[in-house]
Amino acid sequence: MKDLMRVRSLISNEVEALLNQQVKKEALSSSIYLAMASWCNRNGFDYSSEYFFKQAEEERHHQLKFYKYILDMGGNAISPEVTGIKQEYNSFREVFEDALDQEISVTQSIKKIYALCLQEQDYVTNEFLNWFLKEQREEEYKARRALELFEVIGEEGTGQWEIDKHVGKIKYDSEA
Amino acid sequence: MITTTLADTKQTTWAEVFSTTQGAIFQSDEDRCWYVNFAGKLAKFDYRCLLKLKKAVYNVNIEEKLLSSAKDPDLEIIFICACDHTYILSILQIIALKEILEGTFVMLQLNSIIHDKLYRAAF
Ligand SMILES: [Fe+2]
Ligand SMILES: [Fe+2]
Repeated sequence: MKDLMRVRSLISNEVEALLNQQVKKEALSSSIYLAMASWCNRNGFDYSSEYFFKQAEEERHHQLKFYKYILDMGGNAISPEVTGIKQEYNSFREVFEDALDQEISVTQSIKKIYALCLQEQDYVTNEFLNWFLKEQREEEYKARRALELFEVIGEEGTGQWEIDKHVGKIKYDSEA
Repeated sequence: MITTTLADTKQTTWAEVFSTTQGAIFQSDEDRCWYVNFAGKLAKFDYRCLLKLKKAVYNVNIEEKLLSSAKDPDLEIIFICACDHTYILSILQIIALKEILEGTFVMLQLNSIIHDKLYRAAF
């Protein structure tokens, strides 16, 4: 009996399902960042707004990377429905707390896919995921650094204005 | 392996992938597809459609259906987009078809492993 399944697709149905879930997660991230960009802009935090616009675009790029990988491997990429995006925030700081939460949840779900691939010996997908693991290092660093600014600068007086200015300058360059 | 004669008298060899007393799924290497013998009909499914059938059947919330006290008949319509077949099944038939599909996908996975070990692996 021919192995008709493997002939059609490099990835298993289970890996495909998780990758599609990740497509949705990245799309969700993109929409969340877009909402954050709007909130920051409306409240006078222009540098942060710009920062979130950039993040939104990056997440869209991540989404497409997963999407195309699924298709290239013979799978069925599913265009996700994204609803329930939070549009209002109670404070400037809350925006960044939510941003870090979102990045942590993305890191966790990529780790979950990685674990399944190891179990299945799907090293091809593991290798594909390596780029995302490195990316999450940067993403979590930046989100954590932004929150740190609230500690070291403080929100009193012109604090928020200072924080906003520094958010635009957050960079992660690691040799490792 | 069983040999079945199709209506168009073309002689085709099918391999039984999995069967229960309720039905069976066969694979045709020549046609690169599967034949589902269930609920009184024999239906041809290609790769995409078989996956869609699996998804449709797995998505039926059997527990909820069994506990539901609604008066409507417990019929489920399994309609698969862009495939030629539609099933109208009772909840018992859904359970039976699900069992056949679960067995089938385990056997197909096993077949992949056999191919890995016998024909592909260098170890
Ligand atoms: Fe991302
Ligand atoms: Fe991100």
